[in-house]
Amino acid sequence: MVSEPDSRVALAARGVTKRFPGVIANDKVDFGVLSGEVHALLGENGSGKTTLCKMLTGMYQPTAGHIEVDGERVVLRSPADAHHHGIFMVHQHFSLVERLTVAENVMLGWSLDGSRIRFKRRRAEQEVARLAEQYEMPVDAGKMIGDLSIGERQRVEILKALCRGARVLILDEPTTVLTPQEAERLFASVRRLAKAGNSVIFISHKLHEVLAVSDQVSVLRRGVMTGTVELGDHAASVDRKELARMMVGREIELGRRPRAARAPEAAKAGLEIKELVVHNDLGVRAVDRITLNVAAGEVLGIAGVAGNGQREFAEAIAGVRPRSGGEVSVGGTPVRSGRPLAALAAGMAFVPEDRMGMGLASGIDVAENMVLKSFRTRAFSRGPVIRRGRVVDNANTLLTGYELQGGPSSLVGQLSGGNAQKVLLAREMASKLQALVIAAPTRGLDVGVTETVRKLIAEAADGGTAVVLISEDLDEVLDLADRVAVMSGGRITGIVEAEDADVEEIGLLMMGQDHGA
Amino acid sequence: MNHGLVIELIATGIFYGTPMAIAALGELLAERTGVLNLGVEGMMLMGAVVAFWVSRDVSGPNGLVLIIAVVAAAAAAALVSLIHAFMTITLRANQVVSGLALTIFAGATGLSSYVGDLANLGGNPGHHIMNAINVFGLKNVPILGPIVFDQPALVYVSWVIAIAIFWYVNKTRQGLHLRAVGENPEAADAMGVRVTHYRYAHVLIGGALAGVGGSFYTLVISSEWTDGITSGAGWIALALVILAFWQPAGVLAGAYLFGVVSALGANLSARGVQLPPEVFSALPYVLTIVVLAIVASGWGRGRFGAPAALGVPYARDGA
Amino acid sequence: MRAILPAIPVRLEKRTDRTPGWVLAATPVGAFLFAFVIVTIVLLAGGHNPLQSYSAMLQASVTSTSAISQTLVSATPLLLTGLAAAVAFRMGIWNIGGEGQLYIGAVCASGIALAIGAHGIGLALPAMILAAMIGGALWAAIPGLLRAYLNANEILTSLMLNYVAGLLLDWLINDSNSYWRDTTGPSAYLVAHGKTIPGSADWPAIGGGSFTVPFGFLVGLVLAALLFVLVRHTWLGYQLRVTADNPGVGRYAGMASKRNFVIVMLLSGAVAAIAGASQVGDFTHILDPTGLQSPQYGYTGIVVAALGRYNPLAVVISALLLGAITNAGINVQSATFPQSLTGVIEGIILFCVLGSEILSRYRVRVGPEKVAVAA
Repeated sequence: MVSEPDSRVALAARGVTKRFPGVIANDKVDFGVLSGEVHALLGENGSGKTTLCKMLTGMYQPTAGHIEVDGERVVLRSPADAHHHGIFMVHQHFSLVERLTVAENVMLGWSLDGSRIRFKRRRAEQEVARLAEQYEMPVDAGKMIGDLSIGERQRVEILKALCRGARVLILDEPTTVLTPQEAERLFASVRRLAKAGNSVIFISHKLHEVLAVSDQVSVLRRGVMTGTVELGDHAASVDRKELARMMVGREIELGRRPRAARAPEAAKAGLEIKELVVHNDLGVRAVDRITLNVAAGEVLGIAGVAGNGQREFAEAIAGVRPRSGGEVSVGGTPVRSGRPLAALAAGMAFVPEDRMGMGLASGIDVAENMVLKSFRTRAFSRGPVIRRGRVVDNANTLLTGYELQGGPSSLVGQLSGGNAQKVLLAREMASKLQALVIAAPTRGLDVGVTETVRKLIAEAADGGTAVVLISEDLDEVLDLADRVAVMSGGRITGIVEAEDADVEEIGLLMMGQDHGA
Repeated sequence: MNHGLVIELIATGIFYGTPMAIAALGELLAERTGVLNLGVEGMMLMGAVVAFWVSRDVSGPNGLVLIIAVVAAAAAAALVSLIHAFMTITLRANQVVSGLALTIFAGATGLSSYVGDLANLGGNPGHHIMNAINVFGLKNVPILGPIVFDQPALVYVSWVIAIAIFWYVNKTRQGLHLRAVGENPEAADAMGVRVTHYRYAHVLIGGALAGVGGSFYTLVISSEWTDGITSGAGWIALALVILAFWQPAGVLAGAYLFGVVSALGANLSARGVQLPPEVFSALPYVLTIVVLAIVASGWGRGRFGAPAALGVPYARDGA
Repeated sequence: MRAILPAIPVRLEKRTDRTPGWVLAATPVGAFLFAFVIVTIVLLAGGHNPLQSYSAMLQASVTSTSAISQTLVSATPLLLTGLAAAVAFRMGIWNIGGEGQLYIGAVCASGIALAIGAHGIGLALPAMILAAMIGGALWAAIPGLLRAYLNANEILTSLMLNYVAGLLLDWLINDSNSYWRDTTGPSAYLVAHGKTIPGSADWPAIGGGSFTVPFGFLVGLVLAALLFVLVRHTWLGYQLRVTADNPGVGRYAGMASKRNFVIVMLLSGAVAAIAGASQVGDFTHILDPTGLQSPQYGYTGIVVAALGRYNPLAVVISALLLGAITNAGINVQSATFPQSLTGVIEGIILFCVLGSEILSRYRVRVGPEKVAVAA
């Protein structure tokens, strides 16, 4: 660990703690990147790596501890301050204007030679071309952003920073949006940048990338820096299991779900997924030919860092997102692509991770949300008019036992996270289900609600439902699941029995290491 | 059809198209920063009434009074557009509703008429009128003479404005910023461009230009005031911006086309030509709808099409 | 461009919790009071005696049965176009084509009236309304379909169609020998005008003596109730509400968002068209391009809808309010209340109400933002 103040250390966080109401995002973190080095920051979602970087770029202020630039203590009050010191961050969501050209985007809010009025287009394009060539990031400075691929757009983001004199570049999970070939090119550019004396902080959770491109790796877990490893020339011999352990930890909590008559009826078909291919909103393939079978009464946990296709996977199975390939059947009944109601009719329920934006309508009340999928049944209508009484009764019936704060007439948008989840679950798990897809079930919920939710999932499985449980919380997955499939890069990198799961191995799988590699 | 008539037609088209062109150029700027202002008609009327007031009550050499009148028109209209700017930018109100409220507020049964009533402007002749300028004495040059060298000053001003706007939007840093604000205010904000400032400034400029356009009716076309004298020119200006796909050159061309077509239409029907003038007039609108549909569905979306953030209030917290 | 506005130490901060009930209730009331104050100031500035002006307005609009009848005449088109706009805007669909849809409605209604009006009002009335609704719905379907399936901006397309509809009106009466145009009679070509519809097709005014309610207004009331029920109490309205506020939820629940979008546009267009039918049936009895185009009922309807916060029942009230002010402007026309005050007062009210809406989503904070800086 780099501990002495060293002017070769371009940027450092010293004993930095960041507290938010109710959570400590970073706890006395020491981290430093040297000039001319690529330093990877490894960690799961929620490990605090994004928070740390936001402090390094002035978006947040540390609750305790300080930041150093070139060995000198500084206070970064805003990203503009950070830019002043040459610190720039490339986020996962780009700030690019589609209808402007590359050069125009790079020059937005900035001037090459201090000219205040004239926009010297050709000069800007030349400068961009020069930098692009220097760092091997070819991009046509005169092309509109809208015509560029994602990889090219990312290069523009990096060029934006370089043009403004970036010396420290922080890349936040840059390969999430790239194809493998584009990722390779990115690594080449990153190495070029380091060679030229810049510092690069590379945030990732994918081991092979980290090993391919970094000089040092620091690992964060739950806000704490668990270790730093120098890779140097012996990257190949680095103990990957050690890294996985640092990233994922080894506490396997007691309180695994007791599964008495646990043998899931393997004979009875629950949920069958064959060669599933799904594209995300950007047209990139997010799910790459996944085949899985979940038996009736089995809980299959899907572990993995968010952003590896889990959302698209869940949406496609539930029929909310159209599939680009493959088949899905529920209880033996094939379900047509893109038809949520067909999935529903086949006996599938879907509790999405996006509660307020997808699972629940925030502008209407609880009772009306309860009939979001069932309102077409005649029981709720008298002619074209809603039978409000029946709707409310229905809600009350479904909510028995859930202890919801507020009644059927509460506006869902004003419910707390826990109560909203209760409403969602009460609706989805109302009847005997063939299959249940549930994502991030306890995210942001307190202990009491969490316990209720887990109990419900276990009960569903015990009742014969095939459950697909998607969660970033590995402990949760290990507690509840019978088998654990790890998803990385849109594919299943491995499936293990939960009982004898080797946490380090799962960590490796999550980092993109295929099973058995 | 003889040449003299065609030339006359073009010259007239330019003449009558100018007020709409000026107002449309202003609205173009506002819309390119993402703010839709449907109140153009109201602002033109404000300009018209204030300009007339000055021309009636201020005494001095003709040229000077006219300049003061135009400037006053611009200021009055800009002041009124400030309301719309405040409503839509700071208070994040719906731009459509606010703009329509502005038309009602300042329009033919609103503030402009109110000012006319208070200052007793109706039915009184003005004392200054802007006549056509015989530029360099070239008025009688064949073909170009009547068209280019025999127009009132505001026509030449409109050409200067159009060129200036083109240069401003495409060749300056501020123009780059304003385009970014209209396309993707979040990105512009992230790059340090002050979205609010740009939007306010350009809505006000748009208002000012609408006022100047309005003043054409009471300083050039006639020298008197009646309620609603612009009779829909503001609405045409709005359409012009869209028809021209937010390009200054297109605005001028479109405005003159309008002027020519309306003059032509009356002419044609007198000659017994079967095709009704309304078909000519409707064609640009129908064409615009077709192009809007084509562009929205993907083709050419990069180059043409409305500023992406048009009509959407911007809030940094993503509200 | 740097510092055009000085740094104002007042900020707007988004509300994270529920808007207190008192704020929701007090805001429109406060806005009206504020508007009242400003209007009074404007009146004083203009050299009027506010008391005289207000009293003139009230006398012309509400203090006698004949005044109320007059107000209803002004309010009728506003009610109908207001409802049309409210239905669309509530769903986040910015239909500003009400103006054109009104014209089309007038064309259809007068056409039918000329054709079969002689057979009596029992046939003519429903036929006129139906014809208008069909025409208006079809006219609105164009921007609706373009938006739903091609994602073309409906503000721009519906605006363009207004101009086209207006030109159609002009053509039918001024520049053609169409069925609608009156080509007989001495003045036929002197001043182009349309054929008067048969007297038996004139819409009845309900009531007697000095208090009469235009039939169109009653239609509007019924529509207000129906639309209110539709949005709140039917499953169609439910789907529309859900998809308007939460498009992702619509996808999740398998709701046909595109189809719903078009349905709303059809509805909005049909209602706006009835306003056109009412103009012909209730008031003018003739297809009159100028008379239809100059008051700009369609655009004013949007303002009426906004004042009523897009709630059909509240729109009735705001239509009456604006109708009263408009009517006063038309019928008083004196030094104490010139017609030009109409727009000024309406504009001020609207700006105050519009501006106050932000308070329900944001709270006002004075003072600079506190940034926590570590020691």
